[in-house]
Amino acid sequence: MKRTLGGMLVFLTMIAILTGLLQLLNWIPSAVQDGAFQRYASIDEVRARLKISTVYTPVYYPRTVQWPPSLIAAQTRPYPAVVTEFVKSDDPGVTILVITQTALPHPPLVEKFRLAAVRESVRFEFKGRTALLEVGVCRRDEQCCRMTWNEGNVGIALVMRSSPVELVRIAESMITRPHEAGHSAESPGKERDTPGTRN
Amino acid sequence: MYLAQSFLHSLIAALIVDTALLAWKIEAPVIRQRFRLLVIVLPIISFPLYQFMTPDRGSALFRLDAYFDMGRWLDLELWGKVPAGVLFLLFLVFTAVVFVLQEMLPIARHTLSSGEGALDGVRPEPESRVTRALEGIPGRRPEVFIIDDEAFAMFSSTGKEPAVYLSGGLVEKLTLDELRAAIAHEIGHIQRSRRPAMVLIFILRVLMFYNPIALMEFRRIIQEEEKICDDVASSLTGDRAALAGALRKFYNADNEDPASPREDASRLRDRIEEYSHTLLIEERITRLEEPAAPAVSMSAVYLVVLMTILAVNYYVV
Repeated sequence: MKRTLGGMLVFLTMIAILTGLLQLLNWIPSAVQDGAFQRYASIDEVRARLKISTVYTPVYYPRTVQWPPSLIAAQTRPYPAVVTEFVKSDDPGVTILVITQTALPHPPLVEKFRLAAVRESVRFEFKGRTALLEVGVCRRDEQCCRMTWNEGNVGIALVMRSSPVELVRIAESMITRPHEAGHSAESPGKERDTPGTRN
Repeated sequence: MYLAQSFLHSLIAALIVDTALLAWKIEAPVIRQRFRLLVIVLPIISFPLYQFMTPDRGSALFRLDAYFDMGRWLDLELWGKVPAGVLFLLFLVFTAVVFVLQEMLPIARHTLSSGEGALDGVRPEPESRVTRALEGIPGRRPEVFIIDDEAFAMFSSTGKEPAVYLSGGLVEKLTLDELRAAIAHEIGHIQRSRRPAMVLIFILRVLMFYNPIALMEFRRIIQEEEKICDDVASSLTGDRAALAGALRKFYNADNEDPASPREDASRLRDRIEEYSHTLLIEERITRLEEPAAPAVSMSAVYLVVLMTILAVNYYVV
């Protein structure tokens, strides 16, 4: 018994050291080279630290989406990419909206949730762009939709646990000018539809 | 991503298993082997298992909160040009080549030479020392053949008609008790080769052909196998000292080999292998000269180690 408990103490100590070592090793790449995928406090910090000039963010957020984002993470290596996640306003444990922008031709970063089954897929014209709008279900049969399009050399993908109507409104609010790659502001407002705002 | 994660998962599993073996001072080779198997088996299933449990395990948020994200290292650009991922891939390819050259080719050669009837030997005379040694071993006994070779050699063939092969030099030098212990050790190998688990271990090892940790761990499992067969021999003959004596003669014979100039790389490799072999024999002799440790159940510890490996590796992406 004494041997078992003593062994457990040694074992747990070693496991704590191992996990600490893993986290240290995980930190090294970001210390050695700028641009590794990491969390940021705000979109402005992403722009400032990573020199990503254009970060697409909506100015319209439905009431169901909690602002500010629960996650802002970005990288420039091996290719520029930004991901922003939002949780439900009435359930902070559930991610409701994920926005990714990725330098083409790279695929979008893997999202927190994805469409388990696509029920309808249509080409959707908005503000001079052609997006692919997919409607389907995520896990547990929740209604989900996904919208993807290209802005110059950047691919944008939005996934939302909601109806496509809200997703389209969010996507439209990300585009400030027709036929031009631009960006919009981080908007603290809710239920506001203010396309054209620009930082 | 599967390759990178299974490599990392086996590395972490190996560290955790070694920690557990040290922490609980686990000496019984059967138990040690069971623990070491985790290093080979778990990394094969962990990736699909984790993905099934958590489909968003590859997502940005999960990666950010992970203990270790391999992607961060693989994306590093060495000298501003070469992605570290390319070097990692080359490393796995190198391991796969080593696996083919050192493990698959010898097996293929052995299989081919067995088919050609290379294992020719003569049955021992009814009153010979070999026959008398065999009579002292309880249970079903395999065929024993003596091959015309002055060197110290002993091995067994498995399959439908298993047999033990002893060299003439070995029969001449070992005492009756040592001979009995040595044959009992080979009987241990034959008995254990019938276990489906051993075949399964080898198949899993082949599946992990690219993984250097699995390669090392498989060799350690084989070393534990030798010790398990030592224990089988001891239980069959009840004489640990006799087996230790036989091994010591093996050890001395290995060291008495005429020294030859060893300069090139292949000689160096041979010497390293011989050194490793000698170390194993020394370890086995020391173990046999000590009293047998009482059997202790390690099921609870095994469960703790298994759960720890699964928990830590879950956060390694």
